[in-house]
Amino acid sequence: MPRSSRRLLLASAFALGLCLPVTGLHAQEIRVLTSVPSLGFPFFVHMMKELQAEGAALGVATVESDGQNSTPKQTADVEAAVIQGLDGIVISPSDVNAMAPAIQTAVENGVPVVTIDRRVDGVPGILAHVGADNVKGGEAQGEWIKANYPDGARIVNLQGQPGASPAIDRNQGVHNALDGDAKYEFIVEQTANFARDQGLAVTESILAGLDSPPDVIVAANDDMALGAVEAIKARGMGDQIAVIGFDALPEALAAVRDGVLAGTVEQFPGGQSRKAMQIMVEHLKDGKAPEAEVVLLTPIVITADNIDEAERLGELN
Amino acid sequence: MSTETPAAAPANFDLFSFLAKFAPLIFLLVLMGVFALLEPRFLSPLNLFNVMRQVSIYGLLAIGMTFVILTRGIDLSVGSLLAFAGLVAAAVAKGGFESRFAVGTAAEAAGYGWFLAMLAALAVGVVCGGLQGLAITKLKVPPFVVTLGGMSAFRGAALLFAGGGPVSGFDDAYRWWGQGYIGPIPVPVVIFAIAAIIAAIALRYTRFGRNVYAVGGNPEAARLSGLDVDRITLSVYVIIGFMAGLGGFVLSARLNSAEAVAGLTYELTVIAGVVIGGTSLFGGIGTIFGTVIGTLLIGVLLNGLVLNNVSSYVQQIIIGVIIVLAVAFDTFAKSRRKRA
Repeated sequence: MPRSSRRLLLASAFALGLCLPVTGLHAQEIRVLTSVPSLGFPFFVHMMKELQAEGAALGVATVESDGQNSTPKQTADVEAAVIQGLDGIVISPSDVNAMAPAIQTAVENGVPVVTIDRRVDGVPGILAHVGADNVKGGEAQGEWIKANYPDGARIVNLQGQPGASPAIDRNQGVHNALDGDAKYEFIVEQTANFARDQGLAVTESILAGLDSPPDVIVAANDDMALGAVEAIKARGMGDQIAVIGFDALPEALAAVRDGVLAGTVEQFPGGQSRKAMQIMVEHLKDGKAPEAEVVLLTPIVITADNIDEAERLGELN
Repeated sequence: MSTETPAAAPANFDLFSFLAKFAPLIFLLVLMGVFALLEPRFLSPLNLFNVMRQVSIYGLLAIGMTFVILTRGIDLSVGSLLAFAGLVAAAVAKGGFESRFAVGTAAEAAGYGWFLAMLAALAVGVVCGGLQGLAITKLKVPPFVVTLGGMSAFRGAALLFAGGGPVSGFDDAYRWWGQGYIGPIPVPVVIFAIAAIIAAIALRYTRFGRNVYAVGGNPEAARLSGLDVDRITLSVYVIIGFMAGLGGFVLSARLNSAEAVAGLTYELTVIAGVVIGGTSLFGGIGTIFGTVIGTLLIGVLLNGLVLNNVSSYVQQIIIGVIIVLAVAFDTFAKSRRKRA
């Protein structure tokens, strides 16, 4: 990228940063930075809303930071929070390695940090991590396939964006559960980059290249799963192929409720967010160390039978 | 092909003239041949229609992009604008954000129907494209910068408009625009074909088309010969805005859902398609025919690699290499012809 355009990007990022809503800015109030990788994805929008709601419930002010899918942007937000003298940072890092230096800076400057969803290794002094293991989520998908296809299944695996850690971990989980059992065959494994249009296009291409439809399409997120569903509908194969997604987005829950999608994986991002905020605020108010440094919520598969357990069911109207 | 030098007389067949004229097409046919050998199902009608439908959205944007690049411009905002326009269309069709997730059987929420939805998407595209055109012509900001700003601003507008979430579940009449068929041909392919024919005629046979080439070939000469360069420049950004609006509407119909993250990195795919099709990034040279071929080439590449179950890591390398090879082949053929 040319230097001038990079400067422009930085300038616009800075200008956006100036507009960050700082709620209830009182001198004595506890202020916590809440930072997510990108508010372009509903998953993180939900996370942010839960963080803010929990912060408000606990009587602390939250300062919103949107990483805009860019590690430099999120780094800059964390650095700014340290300069501003915020009291704590609750963050879902966009990249666990690339965000480590910024988080280390915060810790060294005495700003406590709680990480959500993605865990940063190698930074001593992080107060706590609250997350759901993506590998376990992938394993849950695999176990669901085993339970529903005890006699074996031909599986199409729609993988996430190559190189992204959730994509790697979820794929790993599915394979952990199913590899080594010859009844379960991955007939095609392809990326659809976590995107719905690509989920549809890739599924179309896959179905055109197979002699007989697969039993299951397992997707590393709901967007790709919903794209696959459209491709299957167009071919009239809805009765033959079960699709299972990941993330339990409201739209996916609606599709599960309506029987279009067989299932999706719930990782309780809201529960993670609330727990992280509670740990942070308890620490700031009482100086209390958290009971456990790592809190992992167990992901579950949501189907039509247990849809009530989904966190975001309430967003369906 | 109006900018090509006249081909050699048939009696004196010049291989390189022929190659130069049809380089992208030849490259496409070779690629299709290779995929067909590796996986015979590649040539099944089902798959070929899949490919054409998959490229039709890129194609609509690429047609607009051809006009823009012909004037030495660039538009990086198309993906964002497509997402924004698609969301506006979806919200109009659903009559707001009530029951925005109704996907399955309970889909059809009472809204304003596909016609108003499409008009709204087109209006969003034309207005946003026009604003960018005004910034380029009146404020004298380079297109790269204006549309880089647009890429960010329209994405933000889309997120703000829909609160970050998708809007899904349309009635049959709306979905027809993305999922339906006219005879055996998918509707998006028909839309793409009609748009391509209109654009090709406009570029080749109208005064406006010749003016677009003139502005791109040499803006100063065009100005001195009395052309209203600003107006022509403005209109190409309106055209691409219109195409982004149309593309956003068709994509939402196709996916049965509009979302703010739709169309991420489309600008790169679209620009690649236009350039592979032989349009010069320095303006003044290029055709709609070439753009259609270039866009198809990218679609064939994406589809053929998936069909052959090539690893996604390897796919990215192959796509990158083939894009460069395709343009290199075109450049080579053209340079040999000039020498001959």
